[in-house]
Amino acid sequence: MNVALRSRSLDDARPAPEPEGGMELLLWILVWSEFIIFGALLGAFLIMGVIDPSALAVLHRALDLPLAGIATATLLTSGCFATRATFGHNPRPNLVAAAMGGFAFCALKIVSFGYELPTLAAMDGRLPELYWLITGFHLAHVLFVGALLLVVAWRPAPRQVATVATVWHLVDLIWLLILPVIYLG
Amino acid sequence: MQLSRDIPFPAILLALLLATGASLLAAAAFAPGPRGVAIAMLSLTKAALVVLGFMRLHRESPTLATALIGYAALLCMLTGIKIALVG
Repeated sequence: MNVALRSRSLDDARPAPEPEGGMELLLWILVWSEFIIFGALLGAFLIMGVIDPSALAVLHRALDLPLAGIATATLLTSGCFATRATFGHNPRPNLVAAAMGGFAFCALKIVSFGYELPTLAAMDGRLPELYWLITGFHLAHVLFVGALLLVVAWRPAPRQVATVATVWHLVDLIWLLILPVIYLG
Repeated sequence: MQLSRDIPFPAILLALLLATGASLLAAAAFAPGPRGVAIAMLSLTKAALVVLGFMRLHRESPTLATALIGYAALLCMLTGIKIALVG
């Protein structure tokens, strides 16, 4: 009985195990809140496109579809590198490659903004504003999470790699929803 | 939901790139009706490939994976309907 009591007191003295679910829950709250925000913005863009089809036609003429395709391919390729890092294939170089892909996406988007700016600046109405808001907000996400990928690549711990890769895939997924709504619609 | 278990990442990436190319082609070449259907289906395929192929979320939580794909399906369906009806 003494042995049992002693054993129990030793158990009590050990630090409590780190709750695994807490961080994960926060991560999924972040993922879903981002999805809901972008979903609402994309829904508003769809409605504005139906209300004002002539403005949508002008906007579509200003957009560079091949450049958007190249940017999509760049982002998807960087997502593949992030996945490889998550599954333990050379995490550091793969995370750096994923971040570089993200920065290349940003460069392509900035180039396309340069082409689109004169036409969009001359447009009235809410549609160009929504376009800037959605694509600019997404660009800010790519820049921020790209920087996070580099920070995690500095000392890649498996859990942190998995977390940052999940957020990176969220950024990928949002772009895959932006593409049909804004560029292909 | 277990389909992607053994599919290598480069094959998933290739499928994603092909689907992207196909959706750009559909946007340029199809009439509004088939364009809406094609773009919605291809966009949903890409979203599902990212969730099941890259994130492999179905291994940890099939509910979350289904919810993410369902949300993407809703947005893709609305986009497809809008393209098919309005152009």
